[in-house]
Amino acid sequence: MARKTPVLKIAGLRKAFGPVVIVDGFNLEVAAGEAVALTGRNGAGKSTVLRCLIGADRPDDGTIEVNGVRASETNPVIRRDVATVIDDLDFFPDLSVVEHLDLLARAHGIPDPDAAVDEVLHEVQLVPQSGQLPGTLSSGQRRRLALATAFVRPRTLLVLDEPEQRLDVEGVAWLAERLVAERERGLAIVMATHDPVLTEKVATRVVRLGDRGRVDEGGSE
Amino acid sequence: MSKKSRKLIRSGVPAAEPAAEAVEVATEPVAKRTFFFLPDAEPVDVDERDLHDLMKQWRHGRATRTIGQVISDSYVTLFSVVLVGAMITSTVLNAQHGATACTTASCNSGRLLLPTAMIFAGYALAIGLSRLFGPVLASAAEGSWLMDAPISRRRLLAGRLVIPVVVGVLVPLLATGLVAALSGMDWRSVAAWALASGLGAAAMVAMSAAEQTREREVLLKGLQLVWTLLALATGVAVIAVAVAWIPAPSLSTEANLRMSLFAVSAVWLLVLVVLLAAALRRLNLIRRARLLSGGSLVAGMQGAMFALDMGLIRDILVERRAIEKGHVRPTKGRGLGPSALVWRDVERLFRSPGTFVPLVLSLLVPYAIDALRMSQLNPLISGLALTAALVPFLGSLRVLSRTGGLARMLPFKTTQIRTAAMVVPGILAVLWAMMTVPAFVGFTDTGADRTAWSGLMAAAITAAAGVFGAVRWVTAGKADYSAPMMATASGALPPALIFNLFRGIDMVALITAPLILGADPLWSVGLAVVVFIGLRGTFNLDELRAEQEAMQRDAARAKTERNDRIKIAPPKR
Repeated sequence: MARKTPVLKIAGLRKAFGPVVIVDGFNLEVAAGEAVALTGRNGAGKSTVLRCLIGADRPDDGTIEVNGVRASETNPVIRRDVATVIDDLDFFPDLSVVEHLDLLARAHGIPDPDAAVDEVLHEVQLVPQSGQLPGTLSSGQRRRLALATAFVRPRTLLVLDEPEQRLDVEGVAWLAERLVAERERGLAIVMATHDPVLTEKVATRVVRLGDRGRVDEGGSE
Repeated sequence: MSKKSRKLIRSGVPAAEPAAEAVEVATEPVAKRTFFFLPDAEPVDVDERDLHDLMKQWRHGRATRTIGQVISDSYVTLFSVVLVGAMITSTVLNAQHGATACTTASCNSGRLLLPTAMIFAGYALAIGLSRLFGPVLASAAEGSWLMDAPISRRRLLAGRLVIPVVVGVLVPLLATGLVAALSGMDWRSVAAWALASGLGAAAMVAMSAAEQTREREVLLKGLQLVWTLLALATGVAVIAVAVAWIPAPSLSTEANLRMSLFAVSAVWLLVLVVLLAAALRRLNLIRRARLLSGGSLVAGMQGAMFALDMGLIRDILVERRAIEKGHVRPTKGRGLGPSALVWRDVERLFRSPGTFVPLVLSLLVPYAIDALRMSQLNPLISGLALTAALVPFLGSLRVLSRTGGLARMLPFKTTQIRTAAMVVPGILAVLWAMMTVPAFVGFTDTGADRTAWSGLMAAAITAAAGVFGAVRWVTAGKADYSAPMMATASGALPPALIFNLFRGIDMVALITAPLILGADPLWSVGLAVVVFIGLRGTFNLDELRAEQEAMQRDAARAKTERNDRIKIAPPKR
């Protein structure tokens, strides 16, 4: 059977900070409908791989392509296709929760932004906080808002860095269900996680990063 | 550091050449863990003096400068203070000599109105800063270590209240005294103005502290508004008298004025004592969260000041204001694509009408400059004023520029984002230019003497300089400490640290330079176009660098592949 065209293709990725090599020779291909979980100990390089993937960090070597386009943080095609939830997400201090989602939906040209925003807002259970400014949200609510920003817009690849962080147990269960549904609808997902529930339920493949960029790949499917 | 720790660190240093990709599953080594527990023995009594000596020893161990270096630095500081002090004194004496000779309406009104404006501004500023920082505050460490301890918070915080009160006396006292001295008053009058200013401002600080203990702000907000309006009205009156729109205020005899000011000072002193006593009595009641918020603000602003990052200081204040506000009535956006960003900026105008105040005030600047016979410098000074006034309208561009996280979520090029963010401030600048044309044409007999067309050009160029200055200021990045450093007398510094201080000012100076130097205004127009192309990110250095690096990597890989090919020697004939 012919292998699906990969949405994400990483070849020979290398990233070092000074003399410390974090990742070297890292290869990964993720097709539509696949969910890859990057696991490993703290400092193994999971977040570094993701930051290189979305263009937030520049790799020292290697190529990263999303749908055949070289990944670059400033490329509008990549910005359109890749939805991310990593720690450097900033919010407008003067826009409320619902206004952030509304702005994103409109910026991405969603035909009926109001309906999309309402649905996502209900789903992440931030309806009571819809008028709140981001500075006043709790850390868990901020994480829910960050996840909502990824779900309110079109995407072909979803990149998540420890999405379970600061979520309550119920929130993690919801996230797992949502990601499974996304995967089944053909979305490619790459996530770094320490959560066994997310890994078990969502991931079709587990890539365990060992020390110094060593890749130990296993599978859960 | 123990031998065991060193050994652990050495064993953790990575090898020079890391392993390449390996696809087999490695077995995780099971680490045998040992835990440390305190010994089962009663703790011995600790003498506080011993602890103090121990801390003293640690501090000695951390000293980075010798006593000789400290004395040398102090000498330089002392010398600078004496030199600057001598210069100020000389300037004051000269100004007094010249000012006493001037008996025109402008001089008389300036002599009365400028110190008055300083007094009102000082009172408003004292309340504003007190509300912002506390005025009583505590650091996060104190909050964690001391606030929970069974001690009297009043004893701990009394000193904290005295410091802002003393600063509240000294700074306005010196500033108003300087202005009064420069306007040519005798020393007794200078003292009267200075005392009225210093004691009044200190009373405002004490009142803020008293209100802080009760967690009330209504009175303070009202008073701040009153003092601000009075300061502005007095400032406008100075300009109005200078251009003869209104007659100069009649000045009663200086002795009477002096007596009135001393009487006002006495009243303020009484108010200060009463409010300070009231605040001290209730210091125990201030909530810890209220104390720590001021402390964290000071810590954040100190960090930003050390990095000379003025943008970050503004970000901290904006974030704090948003947190205080907490909640807004959500409004529905309009448009799709980049126009959604523009419409959101339009919504912001209605949400924060206060941002128009500096913009409206900046309209007065070109008129004031023209009235003060400085029309040659009008484009530069008014351009800088407009830059400062437009910064609050570029909030979205600031957030989208400082981190990549939010910009990454929008499916636009950098040029599209920046252009969309410039639309609303650009329209405001056009309106500003239309309203200030008379000032650039020349509206007084002694002011500028331009034709209507060149006045319109000057106003438009100044407005463009103002917008581009503001855009340049808000798009300042963080200083990159990994980039090559610049050698300075204070040691190595990243260039951005220094250049960020001049961001905005540089664009205004560049665009208005031909106008000031009397060259053809078309030069300014050309420079403005070039600046616009640069600012909207047409030549995004990061993007270009990334593309260049990718091309270099591809070339290097191709070269390696060529070298790796098996060379087959051509058959011998």
